Amino acid sequence: MNKPRSKIIITSLTVIIAMSALYVAFPETINAQLEGNIFATHSGGVITTSGVVIDPVYTTTTDPEYTEATVEFDPMQYLREFNYGVVSTLPDGKILREFTIIAEDDQIMEVSPGIFFNVWTFNGTVPGPTIRATEGDIVRINFINNGAKSHTMHFHGIHPAEMDGVFEIVGGGGGQFTYEFEAGPVGVHPYHCHVMPLEEHIVRGLYGVFIVDPKEGRPAADEMVMVLNGLDMDFDGENNFYAANTIPFYYQNNPIQINTDELVRIYVVNMVEFDPINNLHLHGNLYYYYPTGTDLVPSFYTDMITLSQTERGIMEFQYEFPGKYLFHAHKVEFSEKGWVGIFQVNDNPQDKKSTEKVDYGS
Amino acid sequence: MEVSDRKQSKGKLIASGIIPFVFLIVLVIYIFGPGSDVLDLGVPLPEITMEKIDFVDSEIQVTVRNTGPIPVVIAMADINDRIQPAAVEPDGFLERYETALVRIPFAWNEAEPYRIGLTIEDGTRFEKEVEAAAPALQPTLELVGFFALIGTYVGIIPVMIGLLWLPFIRRISKQKYHFFLALTAGLLLFLGIDSIEEALDVSEENLAGSFNGVLLVTTVIVLSFLGLYYTGEKLVKRAVASTASSRLSKPVAIALMISIGIGLHNFGEGLAIGAAVGLGSIAFSTFLIVGFALHNTTEGIAIAGPMSRGKGAMTGKSMILKLAALGLIAGSPAIFGAWIGGFVYSPFTSVIFLAVGAGAIFQVIITILRWIREEGDKNLSSGSVVSGFAAGMLIMYLTSILV
Repeated sequence: MNKPRSKIIITSLTVIIAMSALYVAFPETINAQLEGNIFATHSGGVITTSGVVIDPVYTTTTDPEYTEATVEFDPMQYLREFNYGVVSTLPDGKILREFTIIAEDDQIMEVSPGIFFNVWTFNGTVPGPTIRATEGDIVRINFINNGAKSHTMHFHGIHPAEMDGVFEIVGGGGGQFTYEFEAGPVGVHPYHCHVMPLEEHIVRGLYGVFIVDPKEGRPAADEMVMVLNGLDMDFDGENNFYAANTIPFYYQNNPIQINTDELVRIYVVNMVEFDPINNLHLHGNLYYYYPTGTDLVPSFYTDMITLSQTERGIMEFQYEFPGKYLFHAHKVEFSEKGWVGIFQVNDNPQDKKSTEKVDYGS
Repeated sequence: MEVSDRKQSKGKLIASGIIPFVFLIVLVIYIFGPGSDVLDLGVPLPEITMEKIDFVDSEIQVTVRNTGPIPVVIAMADINDRIQPAAVEPDGFLERYETALVRIPFAWNEAEPYRIGLTIEDGTRFEKEVEAAAPALQPTLELVGFFALIGTYVGIIPVMIGLLWLPFIRRISKQKYHFFLALTAGLLLFLGIDSIEEALDVSEENLAGSFNGVLLVTTVIVLSFLGLYYTGEKLVKRAVASTASSRLSKPVAIALMISIGIGLHNFGEGLAIGAAVGLGSIAFSTFLIVGFALHNTTEGIAIAGPMSRGKGAMTGKSMILKLAALGLIAGSPAIFGAWIGGFVYSPFTSVIFLAVGAGAIFQVIITILRWIREEGDKNLSSGSVVSGFAAGMLIMYLTSILV
């Protein structure tokens, strides 16, 4: 009576073990199929999947129901956002521009669709706000460090040694410092944290753009800021993402709208670490290039400028023909990791030429 | 009152068996249960393992498993460290041990190396390299036949050739016979170690650390050994009991057990060959086939050893039939192995089968050694046994250089 029972137990045990082994070995064949989802590849193919597409368009929501991100960053808004500060006139007639910059190092940013990263921020975003003044203005920055670590603000440009943000370390947890200097020279400059280890404090996101306009101004244009940056997500000393303004592929998925025959001026700052160079190539056009923006006469007319660390300049161009034009790093690895965008050139509504369209045939 | 006493004591027995379990469950609930953060120390690191990469028409498909301690979300795919849009089926959220299929549309080129990367939600990137892209094998009739042919070359034919030594072994003296039996044991010991090495290699390369590769292999070897040992003992005992009817004499029973053990081992070899073809190392697999063929000839000797001392009905036609059957049992699993390895390769099943093969081999070695002891005056340290064993290991080592 005992033997058959033990046989049954052994047989059923064997079956159970075999079934679970099969499930561990080939689980995908057991999963049920769902209905289709369609997506396009970078090379134009169209694929139908029963699953989830992992190349969706970046969204800027910080609704906790949908995301764990605490940083709300809209690259399209950042592109054309210039901060002139709280303006007042000093007794000697100079313009005073006051800014409040708060450093934090506990923010979570959705740096690419579905990928979250602890960024260190000036005023809550990477890059920090674009600070803009006219040559000779007094710039006063009330700097508050709400981070856990020490941070500073170091501006490229001309200023007294004690305003350089290197030796005047501002402690975390509410440390304060006031930077005050006369804006200059004319051009486009980076600012960044200068606490050691410096590479970490920069690549984590503590940087931004400082623009000094000439007193006589520059010609009217559609102005933009592009910080060329990268993110090392796995801390191996190599960037995993590259972008213009932090979010990989953003301006490819959301083309920048510009008009024909309208001057476009881009303030470009290269903040990529680890890789010695970066560059910007414009399709279907060439741009006038002003290195560091310190001169009012362009030095080059080209479609390709190579930039080393914190190298920067101003690019000016206008499109004659409407349509889609790519701009990207011609170090193509960077563009395949996100540093690529599109200018959608639209017919200029104020342009007569667009109404008298020329038919070029096809 | 005795009956109720017994009932009571039985109840006590069951209770005393269950109570520790109850405490164990309480402990587990206390540590893992909802709202419990007693042991919430340290940072668990996520881990995923790409178990299989298939190159299909303009698409690379990755079977990925969450082998870490925490759930992960697959957020991005790349090829050669260049970001690609992709799809995850059924979805990117993976619980522990859950798998998903990542489909990456990509115009890949045959025979070129590719590095496939997957990035999860915290930005950690995992990579797996494929040495040479080859189209995933479809089980067409032609390929099924091709694998059957390879399996025959590698498994059946060499074993049959090895069996042809039988008349020779039969005529030699007892001393020399023991030498050959020990030689067989030496050959098999080498094969067993070889299988273990292979199993550990596969688990090292393709299985996540959480599978505890070494322990998995060890456990499966022991289970396989015990299972076959138990069955083998039963079989030999029955053979001895029914010597009169003599359908299954003791030497045949032992040869049968050896055949089964070698068959399980050859199944693993078939897997390796099928997988080599499936993973695109074609040149490597012709090399494998030649090597295995030479290697496996020696397996025929292992079966021929005990068979050579069969008595009575062990002559003529029935003998040849029996030998052919044993050869098939030992050799044909290579065909099935090649099919599975080529069409539904999974590193997990490979590791399991290789370990089962190793366990089977060790069982065979024990059987042979006992056979020598019984035959040879309860002595395992005679010159012929020792030299045979050593020669067996050496022969295998030399032929293994070809594989």
